[in-house]
Amino acid sequence: MRDQELQRILRHMPAGIATLLGPELRYGFVNEAMQALLGGNTPEGQPLADASLPADLREVMQKVYDSGSPFVAKAYGLPLPASNDEPPTPRYFDIALEPLQDDADQVHGLLLFAVDVTGQEEARQRAHELALETRRLDARLRVLTETAPQITFTVDAAGKYEYVSPQWYYFTGQPPTADLDAIWPLLVHPEDRLRVLYQMEAARKAGIGWSHEYRLRRHDGQYRWLLSRAVPELHAPDQAAYWHGAVTEVHDQRELADALRRGEAELRFLADSIPQLIWTATAEGFIDYYNQHTAEYTGMAADELGPTGWVSLIHSSEQTSAARRWVQCVATGESFDGLFQMRRHDGQYRWHIIRARQLTDARGLRWFGACTDVDDQHRLREVLQHQYDELARTNRDLDTFVYTASHDLKQPLFNLRGLFDELRRTATFDDEEHEVLLRMVDGALGQLDVTLHDLAATVQEQRQLTAPTEAIDLRSVAEEVLLGLRVLVEDAEATVTLNFGAAPTLIYGRANLRSVLHNLLSNAIKYACPERPPRITITSGVTDTSQPWLKVQDNGLGMEVNKEADPIFQLFDRQHSHISGTGVGLYLVQRIVTSRGGHLDVASTVGEGTTFTVYWFS
Amino acid sequence: MFSRMNHIAYMSRAVRPLSDEELQELLAQCRRDNARNNVTGILFYSHGNIAQLIEGDPAIIRPLFEKIALDGRHSNVVKLTDKPIESRSFPDWSMAFHPIDPEGFSTLTGFFLPHQMPATPDTLSIADALLVDLVRQAVFGANDAVTEPVSTDNQ
Repeated sequence: MRDQELQRILRHMPAGIATLLGPELRYGFVNEAMQALLGGNTPEGQPLADASLPADLREVMQKVYDSGSPFVAKAYGLPLPASNDEPPTPRYFDIALEPLQDDADQVHGLLLFAVDVTGQEEARQRAHELALETRRLDARLRVLTETAPQITFTVDAAGKYEYVSPQWYYFTGQPPTADLDAIWPLLVHPEDRLRVLYQMEAARKAGIGWSHEYRLRRHDGQYRWLLSRAVPELHAPDQAAYWHGAVTEVHDQRELADALRRGEAELRFLADSIPQLIWTATAEGFIDYYNQHTAEYTGMAADELGPTGWVSLIHSSEQTSAARRWVQCVATGESFDGLFQMRRHDGQYRWHIIRARQLTDARGLRWFGACTDVDDQHRLREVLQHQYDELARTNRDLDTFVYTASHDLKQPLFNLRGLFDELRRTATFDDEEHEVLLRMVDGALGQLDVTLHDLAATVQEQRQLTAPTEAIDLRSVAEEVLLGLRVLVEDAEATVTLNFGAAPTLIYGRANLRSVLHNLLSNAIKYACPERPPRITITSGVTDTSQPWLKVQDNGLGMEVNKEADPIFQLFDRQHSHISGTGVGLYLVQRIVTSRGGHLDVASTVGEGTTFTVYWFS
Repeated sequence: MFSRMNHIAYMSRAVRPLSDEELQELLAQCRRDNARNNVTGILFYSHGNIAQLIEGDPAIIRPLFEKIALDGRHSNVVKLTDKPIESRSFPDWSMAFHPIDPEGFSTLTGFFLPHQMPATPDTLSIADALLVDLVRQAVFGANDAVTEPVSTDNQ
């Protein structure tokens, strides 16, 4: 009964159990699990079928039977026979081969015990594959960490360096035998050392990573800025076991950033020192910086003004147009330019030129603007304009007065002349010298007439200076003038040569040209040398720079020329007092020529002659 | 109600492009949530550019702005202004953007196509109107933005 129970238990055990009896290894007891393993057909008493187990296993079984010493085949692969169209799958068994001995210690069979270890075996194989993959990844990581241009390191919870990549030795020039924990802190710049050590320890205590910059001594003794970043590797929550990190050289970036910061600070200082309103704006047109002077001028802080507050400083009548113009400038990138009245902190509006330009560079697009106070200039200009207008008016009044006076004096003079002639005709004089007196009175009357005429002419010319210009044929004007001077020319027996071949026309005011020619010609005749008849040459031409000129040359008395003082052209200044005239002539010429942008030149030798050259536009 | 009133304006970038539905929902959400708190304003959106102006009691809109600034749907939030105002300029919540499908939007309350937007209200000071015009230009670009000049009768 007990035996039967045991048999039933054995038969249903999940492990395979069988006994093979006799040297032929005949099937004895075979449980269900083993039966499946052996191919299903295991009639008791039949020898082990050749196909049921692989040959090597059967051979080993034979040897165990012969030698009588047990053997365990670990993780032996047995393809489980195919069933239900499924292909045979490899399964693994630990197969124990135990010799069965009879009472006389003679081997008479084998006990076969097979445990399915497929699960374990597969796990083991997976573990093996994983180990291989891990080794491969590890190798790759090592190559990566050791070729990247960074120092990588691992530090443990106590702050001891577990690993540091070869770049550290390369950077510091330390031998591979160097004691990292002792030497690393010594290589940190003395000014940074305490800070770095404290920060690292604080991070380690808190179980957090770190990121800080410090200077480390390079192999050449130079300190270079480095960025050290590390993250903790957490095993248990809140308990970091290791920190892994990298050290990157940031020296150049830092120097550049320092330079930029310095440059920016300097520019800002500069902007703050300038007594102008300076500001910058973003690409969208929002002002993000106002200089110190803006606050002083407006009495408002930058945040009070805000990104568009500047427009409220402008005089209310101009705010809308300024705002519209700014929106347009931001849209198109055109420069902003304008003259506006801007309110000062005390409420006074002062004129400013507001100018803003766009700058595009690697750091993007920005606007730079300045408001320059031109109020004083503006007011000064207004005062000057006012004074100018007043002067011009006075001048006009004066001209009118002179003209009217000279005109009004002509009639009494005419009357005087008539009365004098009448007196001469009818009256008799007792005085012996009456002839001389009469001649002197006559001369004085004549001179008064010329003076009045010249004064009127001066005013006339003054008015014609603004007359429009036209292309004038020089010869026709000269001949016209000569016709007017015919009596004078004939009396003096003067020869006048016209030489206008090189530049026959001139663009000038007609009346002005006539006046210049008239005065220069009449002067040349008037100041002729009494010993020889006057010979006058008028020549026109152009300079190297295509500027027209006109030359009037005579063989007259000549004069002293003191160019520095320029005395001959002063009104009523006369060199030759014995010759009649008012001295207005040269003054007029000078005035006409200079007011139209030219100048008058004179060359003269006393006793030989004078040459006047008019440079019309020099 | 004579409580103090401020307006806050900011610009930001959407983390990812917003769809028509999302924008519609955003407008609805603004109208719904802010009606309770008496907060009004306007929202501009185009190609990921966001700008918003909110008006109301500073005690309400300041925390509201803090909340908006932390919203994960946008980043690079730049506050342009936060200052007292005399009166509301956008009493009805409105919004302007380019919908992908403009059909369904014509009837939506408070919605404008950028080029149909009314001129910047003249209840704003010229400085604030300039701000809104620049914001509008920054969001929609120069062509679609300011079709109307800033108000001229606000002296």
